[in-house]
Amino acid sequence: MPVLTRTLVLLALSLYTAFAAGPFVWAAMLSLRTTTEIHLNHFAFPNPAHWEKFPDAWYNSNYATYFMNSIEVVIAAVVVLTIVGAMAAHCLARYRFRLNRVIYFILFSTIIFPPQITIIALFQILVNYGLYNSKLGLTLVYVALQLPLTIYILESFFARLPADLFDAARMDGYSDWEIFWKVSLPIALPAVATTVILNFILLWNEFLFAVVLITDEANRTLPLGIQRFIGDTQEDIGMIATGLMIAIVPVIIVYAFFSEKLIQGMTAGAVK
Amino acid sequence: MPAFRAKELKGDVRQPWGTIVAFLLPALTFYVALTAYPAIRTLWNSFHRVLPRREEFVGIANYSELIKDEIFWKAVSNTVTWACISPVIEVTVALLLALALYAKVPGARFFRVAWFTPVLMSYIVVGILWMWIYNYDWGPLNTLLRAIGLGALAQPWLGSPDTALGALILVTSWMWVGFNMVVLLAALHSLPKDVIEAAELDNCGWSAKLVFVIIPLIRATLLNLVVLSFIGKMKIFDLVWITTKGNPLWSTETVSTYVYKRAFEWTTFDLGYPSTIATVWFVIVLATVLLLTWLFRTREKLEY
Repeated sequence: MPVLTRTLVLLALSLYTAFAAGPFVWAAMLSLRTTTEIHLNHFAFPNPAHWEKFPDAWYNSNYATYFMNSIEVVIAAVVVLTIVGAMAAHCLARYRFRLNRVIYFILFSTIIFPPQITIIALFQILVNYGLYNSKLGLTLVYVALQLPLTIYILESFFARLPADLFDAARMDGYSDWEIFWKVSLPIALPAVATTVILNFILLWNEFLFAVVLITDEANRTLPLGIQRFIGDTQEDIGMIATGLMIAIVPVIIVYAFFSEKLIQGMTAGAVK
Repeated sequence: MPAFRAKELKGDVRQPWGTIVAFLLPALTFYVALTAYPAIRTLWNSFHRVLPRREEFVGIANYSELIKDEIFWKAVSNTVTWACISPVIEVTVALLLALALYAKVPGARFFRVAWFTPVLMSYIVVGILWMWIYNYDWGPLNTLLRAIGLGALAQPWLGSPDTALGALILVTSWMWVGFNMVVLLAALHSLPKDVIEAAELDNCGWSAKLVFVIIPLIRATLLNLVVLSFIGKMKIFDLVWITTKGNPLWSTETVSTYVYKRAFEWTTFDLGYPSTIATVWFVIVLATVLLLTWLFRTREKLEY
């Protein structure tokens, strides 16, 4: 490329980077400044940095509760999802039986369902069974919600494992369950890790089902907590920014350690 | 991975039904109890008035009310606008960015990470951030406009019916461009090198190479991304709920927010009517997705 074009392209890319990452950097700066400081200048660097705002938000705004609720619900849902999804995916990939593709299609096609088609009735059902406004109810709904994507990603991985492997395991006297638990699953660990990370992030950020199915302060997950927090603190921009950062940090940590896995997971659905 | 054909080698020929059922039962239980049954119950609701203690059959009354419901049609028009504009912006910008990285600009790794970050944040976090960015008095956008002498253009972006929807569409594009870019980059890297080199040998220009060689080769990925983005916007709820709640003057009302309002906010206490909206919307989304898939499939076949 000629030097001029090259410079122009780099300039455009840098501008886009400022646009893409700028809001996040700005929020990080706000989170370390007090609202009084912010009102003097919205764009100054945190000087001095008010790290004490983080424990303040954590202890004085129920953030600890919201955070732990999110951890509980998301981890429970991801564990169940992984096991239930892997079992179904293994079965659909490994056993040839009538209705195999029909079941696969039925499970998979729910990916395109708009959430409204289930959410009103889910509300009624959970109320009927005393699971409304409970973390257990939300967890079960989350499992059902992410099951199609999990099965889709895992099935396509299991389907690529050679059948010889299973024949050999069978000759060694492994039962069907042992083949799944001791042969399939360990080999599929990379794909399993992908679904775990993907589901973790998607459910950590989930809002619609949480807002419909949870009302109690004690059961709120983080996204609901943030919404509540804005309602309570109104114009306290500095504090809200601190709250936002607390919600972002776990996701950033996961991303820092598993960025390749995460990108793989998110692209798995998009590239055939 | 050896060159096995997945389909041929798939599993045993015999059918151990006991084992199959045992493996599938948990997933099917979740599916039936928390996806299929609720969907059917929503359909049933749509022909009833569903009050907290009482349900009565009303036939197609909800449906005929829906046809005359102007807010519903406003919400449909907003959602469809969103779902049609977003994929175009997202995929186009993403393709340009992906090509830049594919051409090995310096700092490609850093760019990729920076661009991908927005999609990791929840719509709640993103919504609050952008409410600040669009703030009339001190938001960065208006501050920037005033700084470069375009202060006359400064306005309450989310507060005016003319700009609110556009402002929110920009937010979703901001969020999703990076994701589309990463997918396209993966597709570009998987292209056969010799085809592109052949194009270079033929002294094919940059734009000609893009239009005649690269785009046809990554067509399937491009179309997938369009459909994916389209479906995502047809469902959109969180961002609107946290920023504008459909205001001002229904200008950002989407079908999802309207269903939520009718079911859980309005004091009509009737779950039947919102179920009708959900059912009709479900049929529309399903039909559009099938249509899109079918359109793209047949075009593909004709080309070869």
